[in-house]
Amino acid sequence: MTWVLRTLSTSIGKKQLMAVTGLLFLLFLATHLLGNMSIYGGGPAFVAYAEHLHALGKLLVAAEVLMALALIIHVLTAVVLFFENRAARPVKYAVDKSGGGRTFSSQTMPYTGLLVLGFICVHLATFSHHIVDQTTRNIFQIAVAVFSQPVYLVIYLVSMIILGFHVRHGLWSAFQTVGANHPKYMPFIEKLSIVFAVIVAIGFGSLPLIILAMR
Amino acid sequence: MSSKSINLTLKVWRQQGPKAPGRLETYKAENISTDASFLEMLDIVNERLTLEGKEPIAFDHDCREGICGMCGSVVNGRPHGPQKETTLCQLHMRHFQDGDTVYIEPFRARALPVVKDLVVDRSALDQIIAAGGFISVNTGQAPEANSLPVPKDKADLAMDAAACIGCGACIAACPNAAAMLFTSAKISQLALLPHGRPEAAKRALAMLAQMDAAGFGNCTNHKECEMECPKGISISNIARLNREFLKAALASAEEIPAATKKE
Amino acid sequence: MLQLDAKIPGGPLETKWDRHRFDLKLVNPSNKRKFEIIVVGTGLAGGSASASLAELGYNVKTFCIQDSPRRAHSIAAQGGINAAKNYPNDSDSIWRLFYDTIKGGDFRAREANVYRLAQVSNLIIDHCVAQGIPFAREYGGLLANRSFGGAQVSRTFYARGQTGQQLLLGAYSALMRQVARGQVKMFPRREMLDLVVVDGQARGIVVRNLITGEIERHTAHAVVLATGGYGNVFYLSTNGMGCNVTAAYRCYKKGAGFANPCFTQIHPTCIPVHGDYQSKLTLMSESLRNDGRVWVPKKAGDKRRPEDIPEDERDYYLERIYPSFGNLAPRDISSRAAKRMCDEGKGVGPTGRAVYLDFRDAIQRLGQAEIEARYGNLFQMYERIVAEDPYTTPMMIYPASHYAMGGLWVDYNLMSTIPGLFVLGEANFSDHGANRLGASALMQGLADGYFVIPNTINGYLAGTKFAEVTESHEAFKESEAEVVAKVKKLLSIKGKRTVQDFHRDLGHVMWEYCGMGRTDEGLTKARKLVADVKAEFWENVTVPGSHTDLNQSLENAGRVADFLEFADILLLDALARRESCGCHFNEAFQTEDHEALRDDVNMAHVAVWEYAGEGKEPIFNKEPLNFEFVKLATRSYK
Repeated sequence: MTWVLRTLSTSIGKKQLMAVTGLLFLLFLATHLLGNMSIYGGGPAFVAYAEHLHALGKLLVAAEVLMALALIIHVLTAVVLFFENRAARPVKYAVDKSGGGRTFSSQTMPYTGLLVLGFICVHLATFSHHIVDQTTRNIFQIAVAVFSQPVYLVIYLVSMIILGFHVRHGLWSAFQTVGANHPKYMPFIEKLSIVFAVIVAIGFGSLPLIILAMR
Repeated sequence: MSSKSINLTLKVWRQQGPKAPGRLETYKAENISTDASFLEMLDIVNERLTLEGKEPIAFDHDCREGICGMCGSVVNGRPHGPQKETTLCQLHMRHFQDGDTVYIEPFRARALPVVKDLVVDRSALDQIIAAGGFISVNTGQAPEANSLPVPKDKADLAMDAAACIGCGACIAACPNAAAMLFTSAKISQLALLPHGRPEAAKRALAMLAQMDAAGFGNCTNHKECEMECPKGISISNIARLNREFLKAALASAEEIPAATKKE
Repeated sequence: MLQLDAKIPGGPLETKWDRHRFDLKLVNPSNKRKFEIIVVGTGLAGGSASASLAELGYNVKTFCIQDSPRRAHSIAAQGGINAAKNYPNDSDSIWRLFYDTIKGGDFRAREANVYRLAQVSNLIIDHCVAQGIPFAREYGGLLANRSFGGAQVSRTFYARGQTGQQLLLGAYSALMRQVARGQVKMFPRREMLDLVVVDGQARGIVVRNLITGEIERHTAHAVVLATGGYGNVFYLSTNGMGCNVTAAYRCYKKGAGFANPCFTQIHPTCIPVHGDYQSKLTLMSESLRNDGRVWVPKKAGDKRRPEDIPEDERDYYLERIYPSFGNLAPRDISSRAAKRMCDEGKGVGPTGRAVYLDFRDAIQRLGQAEIEARYGNLFQMYERIVAEDPYTTPMMIYPASHYAMGGLWVDYNLMSTIPGLFVLGEANFSDHGANRLGASALMQGLADGYFVIPNTINGYLAGTKFAEVTESHEAFKESEAEVVAKVKKLLSIKGKRTVQDFHRDLGHVMWEYCGMGRTDEGLTKARKLVADVKAEFWENVTVPGSHTDLNQSLENAGRVADFLEFADILLLDALARRESCGCHFNEAFQTEDHEALRDDVNMAHVAVWEYAGEGKEPIFNKEPLNFEFVKLATRSYK
């Protein structure tokens, strides 16, 4: 199986790891957002959704393990890429201008990624059923409690914008990396990146505001 | 064509040799006709330096019609300067304003070390081609030319990719100094043609391994390469390389070979 | 005197090459690895020769002056490559390609060589397609053709406007494949500064490493020179800045005959000169003449914008004078016609040295999209340089120095007068006579490299006794000493004028007196002027920097020094050719309507110049040209 390691350690191999795990996260974001949208049905609907989710049992554990693995791979590979890419140009340009390719999103991927990682930690610490006791308070009450603290609210909202930027480059980039660049579909995928990034930022960003409004 | 003269201040990277430290030196470029090309402007500056007993600025150039791929520097932060799909030799001074300050730096990447001033060593690119950028046909072996039809759209795409002049601007432009556009252009050209299919898997693995060994960065899809490529080569070629590589690595019996180290 | 035995095989023209290959001695496969061959230059000829010889099993050492073998100036050829495939079913044949080429060369080339060229032309296309060269194709997936100057059939294969690039990259990829196999050892950024001759055989070269300045010695059993043409003797030309005569000229000084140096092609469709600082001229592919119409105003001194000149006040002079070929008249004819129009005051543009190439009618007929598909990159190139849009305003074009038909003399085996020194491609004189037709240079370079030299070199290697020669041989020492002395001399003059300045002076003289129209008085005067430039060069040139690192001024100085000496042979040859033929136009020899007037009785020969020593006039030799198979006819394109 050394060929597997060899393949994954090439530049394209590493990119595939980023892309495939990234696509998983995108899928996760979509389902997570869709599920959380239940908040628009009111607090009880939201709680019911959370209970349904937890009722999945082993399936949920499997999904959590998968996401954790994906996260580790995504982050470790990103660290390697970051340092390799820095080393590839030891002397910097005195003047460095864009030809119109790179975007704010593409240039800040390592940094937005790092911030999103930080957010995930905070998010898990404040919401995960592994960490936060959900037997005395339901998830709606927990959310109200968390978002009532201005610091958390601001962290959450800013993080969602940062996540939006990460997704904006990540989505089309993942398609390009797995080789899905087709003259008919790529323009759509590129637009989808932006649309999805906005949906993620606004969709998730609206949640605490709705929750606070329902309080 | 209406020509006038302009004066510029140049900030040029001077470096005596690969190991020597380099620095930006300031020169005046005076009375430059706007019809002159960028390299002709450098010629004029060099003539003057020579007459002043100084060493002229070393820069690579040959055909001066945008096809040999020999010229190229980073001008005001842009490889081959500010014009789209234009090599430095085809960039004309009419795109500059009187009084401009112009920064001229060599292509910068660990894998393309500076030889002198603006001249860089691009032999890493030759090595990538040597690793597999060919179809293994000996002289005399070929069948009749029309025996294998090639769909016109495929031939056109292959030609789009084959237009690469190997100048290295994609690497210079890439924030990661990656050589993916260069490598993918050759892999795409040969993968698109039926003649290149028999070796496609072997080629993709070998060229990629060689590219990795040369110390280029990794592609993170900034698209700067496509934007700065003087021949407008598309990053859809990089996607094709990604596909070809995946197919070769996962579905073929070929192994990724060891790369040759630079002498 | 030189021994000029062309070694042309006897018998019918069609079977000469087959018979010759049978008669040549062979080197068996296991013996091939005992031979080392040096190839200098990596253009179409050198690249293809290196790859093919290595495929056969020879140990090849290949040298080029650029940073990579892929940069040779063959890359700039735009239009296409000829072959006698007759795919369009328009009555083409090997015989017709042969005839067109020999007629296009104004009957100053060898029948046997040209016929062989036409014969292998089809193999080249087969091979290049198999290499993955993306030639233009029809919708059915089969190869497309277009027409080119000097032919009434469509036999030109092309890859957009970048045919030379694609063919060169094909040869380059084949070469790199052999480099990876270890069968070719590649030496980039090396400039050949001398040929080393031992016991009358070419046994190696001395080169300067352009990065470190080191002088290196390399031995071999044979040396293959493929170093291109000398068009830069005119300073401004379509050649790359690095193109030079140095390697060929140093071989000449070691005893290789130089043939027909005065046959220099002036290409009709180049972007006109616009300033003193200009470093080169850009060619607009001849293929443009398929759809563009060449014209000047009928009235001399007409300064109106071209759009304002009504149809009946335009002179489509090529269509008028040469109705059957029209805008596709051969290069020499078209160039001279343009010059004549400008001499009559009908030239256009700021300098009055330009004619229009107009696509208005073609755009009306075919639509802008089709014109863009055919010539988009050329139009773009034009617009970039001139800052005018050729879709709306006619292009301005003027002839410029382009190709050298002359070159080192070679026999049918492509061997020069020095045993073991082979010369291929533009560097030799063999196939184009006094004028080369469009799309023939690519054909010849690849024919020589892929299909001729791999056969003929066997005959030499198998039939020759070789003494043991190492790099410490006396001949190498002498060569190196000479090279080093010259390099140091150039650095030590420390005068007041730059190398480029002298080159510009030389170019002015050559273009003025030895360009499209030549006279005895002008040529004689030019010899004197060139001698003056040369004398001043060695007194007053300044070459900054040192010889121990990359020094582009020093490289140029050596090349210009050789151009200054070589120019004299060119002028001498032009004086000695008492006729007008092809690109050589001596005004004393012309017909009533200003066409070239050949003298087949006295001048049907190759003029071969032999080095006689420093400061001595070169010795004139001639190889008579016998035409057994074609009738010498007045070349008419009317």
